[in-house]
Amino acid sequence: MDNIKQTVWMHKKRIYLLVIFTFLFGIAIIAQAFMMTKVIDGVFLHNQSFSDMIPWLLVLLFILLLRFAADYVSKRIGVSIATDVKRNVRKKLLIKYAKIDLPLAGRGQTGRKVSMLLDGVDEMDSFYSQFIPQVMQSTFAPLLMLIVIFTQHINSGLILLVSAPFIPIFMIIIGIKTQKKSEEKLDKLASFSGAFLDMLRGLVTLKLFGRTKQQQHELEKSSLGFRDTTMDILKVAFTQSFALELISMLSIGIVALELAIQLIIYESISFFPAFVILILVPEFFTSLKELGTTFHNGRSSMGAAAKVLEEFDEKSGNIHYGKKELPVLSNPPIIQLDKLSYQFPASEFQLQDIEATFLPKQKIAIVGASGAGKSTLLQLLSGMLQPDSGRITIQNEDLLYYSQSSWLDQLAYISQHPYIFSGTIQENILLGVTNNADKKAVQKAAESAGIAPLIESFEKGYETRIGEAGRGLSSGEKQRISIARAFLKQPSVVLLDEPTRGLDLATEKILQQSIQKLNETATVITVAHRLHTIKSADQILFLENGRLLGKGTHEKLLDTLPSYRKMVTIQQGGKKA
Amino acid sequence: MRSLQKIIKLMLLEKKDILLAIICGFVAGISSVALFAASGYLISKAALTPPFYTLIILTSAVKLLGLIKAGAKYGERLYSHRATFTILSNLRITFFEKLEPLVPHLFRKYTSGDLLARIVGDVESLQNFFLRVFYPPIVLLLVFISTVFFASFYSAAIAVIMLVGFLLTTIAIPALFYLRQAKLSGKVKQERGALSIEVTEFMYGFRDLKLFQQLQTKETQLLEQSETYLKQQKQENINKAYSQSVNGFITSIVSWFVLAVGAYLVANGELDGIFLAMLVMISLTVFEPAAPMAVFPIYMEESKSAATRLYDVAEDPDIQADDGKMPIELLDRAPEISLQQISFSYMGDWRATIPDLSLTIPAGSKTALIGASGSGKSTLLQLILKMQQVQVGEIHWNNQSLATIDAASIWQQTKVVLQENHLFYGTIRDNLLLADNQLDDQQMEKALAEVNLGHLALDANVSENGENLSGGEKQRLAIARALLKKGNLWILDEPTSSLDAQTEQMIYQHIFEQVDGDTLLLVSHRLYGLEKMDQIIVMDHGNIVESGSYYELMEKRGYFYQMKILERSLL
Repeated sequence: MDNIKQTVWMHKKRIYLLVIFTFLFGIAIIAQAFMMTKVIDGVFLHNQSFSDMIPWLLVLLFILLLRFAADYVSKRIGVSIATDVKRNVRKKLLIKYAKIDLPLAGRGQTGRKVSMLLDGVDEMDSFYSQFIPQVMQSTFAPLLMLIVIFTQHINSGLILLVSAPFIPIFMIIIGIKTQKKSEEKLDKLASFSGAFLDMLRGLVTLKLFGRTKQQQHELEKSSLGFRDTTMDILKVAFTQSFALELISMLSIGIVALELAIQLIIYESISFFPAFVILILVPEFFTSLKELGTTFHNGRSSMGAAAKVLEEFDEKSGNIHYGKKELPVLSNPPIIQLDKLSYQFPASEFQLQDIEATFLPKQKIAIVGASGAGKSTLLQLLSGMLQPDSGRITIQNEDLLYYSQSSWLDQLAYISQHPYIFSGTIQENILLGVTNNADKKAVQKAAESAGIAPLIESFEKGYETRIGEAGRGLSSGEKQRISIARAFLKQPSVVLLDEPTRGLDLATEKILQQSIQKLNETATVITVAHRLHTIKSADQILFLENGRLLGKGTHEKLLDTLPSYRKMVTIQQGGKKA
Repeated sequence: MRSLQKIIKLMLLEKKDILLAIICGFVAGISSVALFAASGYLISKAALTPPFYTLIILTSAVKLLGLIKAGAKYGERLYSHRATFTILSNLRITFFEKLEPLVPHLFRKYTSGDLLARIVGDVESLQNFFLRVFYPPIVLLLVFISTVFFASFYSAAIAVIMLVGFLLTTIAIPALFYLRQAKLSGKVKQERGALSIEVTEFMYGFRDLKLFQQLQTKETQLLEQSETYLKQQKQENINKAYSQSVNGFITSIVSWFVLAVGAYLVANGELDGIFLAMLVMISLTVFEPAAPMAVFPIYMEESKSAATRLYDVAEDPDIQADDGKMPIELLDRAPEISLQQISFSYMGDWRATIPDLSLTIPAGSKTALIGASGSGKSTLLQLILKMQQVQVGEIHWNNQSLATIDAASIWQQTKVVLQENHLFYGTIRDNLLLADNQLDDQQMEKALAEVNLGHLALDANVSENGENLSGGEKQRLAIARALLKKGNLWILDEPTSSLDAQTEQMIYQHIFEQVDGDTLLLVSHRLYGLEKMDQIIVMDHGNIVESGSYYELMEKRGYFYQMKILERSLL
C-alpha cells in the first residue's frame, strides 16, 4: 500500500494539477445548471426576448467547453502519470532483475519475471490512468453539488443528505453478505475457464483415445453450468444496482415533489433554484454510483499494481567488483580457492571451505553426485556469485579486486544449454566478444568448432537467421555455436559445464577436441560427467554435500578415497547412481 | 467483417433472451427519459400555480416511472448477461467442433501452447461482442426514435436537433474513433510483440548475456523498445480519453442547441414556455444510454480481430482435415509398418527434419529408435501416427497407404504414450476410463499396480494438467492408460524418461509381457535393456545411421557401440 502511495506522490505536481482540473470540472457542472436555468427562467417566466438570452447562451457554451476540456485534461494527466509510472517501474524492475544472483535467476522463476515485466507492468496502467482521476471526479463533484444545493434550498439538501448515504451503506451491507459467497463461486468460475483450455490442450489425447464426442457433451453441460453459476453471482450484483437505482430514482422523485409543493403551497422557493436543483440531483447520483463502481474496479487494478511493486521488496544480492584491470598475461593466471564458502539463501545447502590451486593451463575436473555443489563452484569461479567467506584469488589478488569486465574478458563459459538469440548465426557467434571481430575470425572459429560445413551449406551462410532460442538447431549444433563463441574469444580460462546426455557423437568428438585445443592456451575447469575427461584431468576436485572430500589425479583418488572409487565403479557397471 | 457476420449468426440462436434484453433496455431507457421529462414539466407547472391534483398525478407518474426504470434495468442486465453466457457457451462448443477435426494437423503450422491459450482468450473476449457492441446501439436507436417522435409534437426543430445529435454521437464519432483505434491498436500489438521478444531473450538468455558482457546493450535495447511501446500505448489511451470527452461534449452541445432553439421559439411565442424545461431535461437524459458508445470502438475492434483470428485458424487453407477415409482392413492383428523414401520438414522450418528415410517394421516385432535429441525420432513416430504428414514418399500400414486411411482408425489400433501426455482435470478413474468405458475398478487397479502406482486411489483427484502429480507419476499414469487401451501397435515415446532405472526396468517388464505378438515402437533415451529388442534403429539428424539387433550392433562397433561406450562413461 505504501509503495503505491509513493508512486502516486512521486508525481505530486501533476496530482495537484489533477485536483485543480477536477475542481474546475465540478464547478463547470454547477455553472452549467445555473446557466441553463437562467435561460429557461428568462424566456418562460420573465418573458425576456431571445436577444437578452444570447450572452447567457454564449457563457453556457463556454462552460460546456470548460467542463469537457477539464475532463479531457484530467484524463490525460492520468494517462501521463500512468505512462511515467510504467516506464519507471519497468526500468527499475529490469535493473533489479539484472542484479539478481545467477542461481536465484533460476529457470523456474524466469517465466514469472517475463510476465511481470510485460503484463504486470501493463496492468498497473488502469490504476493511475483511470482509477485516480475517476475517484477524484466522483468525490469532488457530488460534494460541490451538495454544497450548492444546500445554499439554494435546505430541504432538498437534507433529502439528499439522508438518502445518499444509503448508497454506500447499501453497497457495504450487500457487499459483506455476498462477498465471501461470490468469491467462492468466482474460484469455481476461474477453474471452469481453465477447464476449456484443459480440454483443448487434451484434444490430441482425446483423439488418440477416440473420445472427442463424449467430451463435447461434457463441455456443453459444464458450459451451461458455468453460465448458471455466473448468473447467480451477477444476480446479487444486479439486485444491488436495482436497489441503488431505486434509491436514486425515489430521491429524485421526492426532491421533485418537495420542490413542487414548496413552489405552490408555501411559495417559499422560486422556479430558478428549483430547476437548478432538478438538474443537479441526477448528476449527483450518477457521480455517486460511479464512485461505487470505480472502487469496485479499482480493487483489481490496485491489486495488480501492488503485486508488481512487491517485487521491489525482495532482496537481491549485488556483487561489488573492484576497479583494477586484470592484466593480460602471456600465460593464464594462477587461480586459488581460499576457504571458499557459499550458502544459498533460504536453503540448507552450503559450499564449505574449498581449498585448491589451479596452475596455468591445467585441466581441472570437478566431480560429484548431483547436488554436491559442482555448478555453484563453477558460478563462484565465473564471478556471478559472491562468496560468503573465503575468496578466489587471481594472481594472488582477490577476484573481486579486479573489474568485472576485465575478468569476463579473459573467461569463456560453455554451458549445458547455451542460449541462442534471435539473429543471424554470425551475430550469435560474435556474442562471444565485446569488440568487433571480422568475418574471417568468425569463420575460423566456426571451423574450429566443426560447424562451418553446416553453416556454409545454408543458402545464406553466416547470415542465416535462427529463430528465437534457436528453433531449428539441434542441441548438438547449439553446443557447437557456443564452442565457436569460445574460440573467437581466445580466453585464458575456460569454464565448461559438460553436457550430461543428448549430444550426437560428432558433437561429442568436437567437444573433446575443442577442449583439448582451448587447453593449449587456457586453463580449463570442467564440471565433468565423462570418465575420459576425469581420467585426463591434471587435478580432480571431488565434492560431496558441499565439501571437498579430496583432490588429486584419478589414480590418486582411486587409491585414497573409497567414496570416489565407489562412484566411478558404479557407473562403470553400466548402472546409474 | 465476414467472420463477425458468422458470429452474429451464431449469436442469434438465442433470440428470446436477446429480444427480452432489448425490450427491457428500451423500457428502461424510455422510462428514464419520461421520468425527467415529467419532473421538468412538474416544476414548470408548479411555477404557474396549477390545481393540486395535476401535481399529484405528475408526482405519482414520476415515482412510478422511477420504479419501472429500476425494474426494467434489472431485467435488461439479467437477460443480456444470460444471453451473453449462453452465447459464450455456444461459441465454445462451435469452436471445439470446428477445431476437433483439425487436431493434430493444426500443430503442423502452429505451436500448440500459444494457439490454444489464444483461442480460449479470443472466444472469451467475444462475450463482449453482444454485450457491448451488438445490442446497445439497437436499444439506443429505439429509445431515440421514440424520443424524437415525442419531441416532434412540440417542436420539429428540436426533434431535428436531437436526431442530428443522435447521428453524431452514436454513428459518426464512434466510427471516426473506430478507424483511429483500429490503426493504433494494431501498432500497439506490434510493439508489444517486439517488446515481448526482447524481454524473453533478456530473461532466458540472462546468464549468457551477463557472461558475454552484453547485458548493458540488451538492457538499453529493451528499454528503447519499452519506450516505443509506451508511446503507442499512451497514444491509444489518449485517443480513448479524447473519444470519451468529445462524445460527452457533443451530447452537451445538443442540449445547448435544444435550449437555444427552444428559448428562441418560446421568446417568439412559437412554443409554450411550460415545455421548455421538459425538452431540456429530455435532451439531458436521452444521451445517458449513449455513454457506453464511447467504448464501442474498443470492443468493436477487439471483437473483430478476435473473430478474424478464430476463423483464420478454423478455416486455414494450409490445414486440411484428414483426407483418408478408409478404415484399416486387417483389424486386431499386429501391423507391419513400412516407410518408403519419406521426407518431412516442419512448416516454416528451413531444413528437412527427415530428408530421406526408408524403414520397415515387421509385424509383431519390437523396434527401438535411438539417437541424440533433435535426430527425428519423435517426428518419425508422429508420421506413423498420421499426426504429421510426409511431404514425399509413402508410409504403409500392412499394404494400405497411410494417406488413404482414416487417422481415427489408426489411433483406434494403437496404444500411445507420448512425451507430453495430457491428464484431465477429474479423478484417476476418469483419466483411465478414457481408454475404455467398460473397464471395471479391478482392471484399473491392476493396471495402476503394474506401473507401480498402487498407492493412488481411483477416486483421487487429478488437477488441471495433472499438476498435483509428479513427472514420474504422470508418465506412469499415461502408461497405465495406454496399457488398458485396445490395439495391436504400441507407440511409446520416451515413456519412462522421468523414472529411475529400477522402476523403468519393472515397467518395461510388464509392457513386454503384454506386447505378446503386437508390433512395438519405442523411442528410448537410455541404451540399456535394449537386448530384448528385435531391431534397433540409430538416427542422427533425420537419417538412419545404423540398424540391427543389439548384438549385431555391438559386434559392428559402429555408432551404436560408441554411444554405448559414451553412456557407460557418463557419471
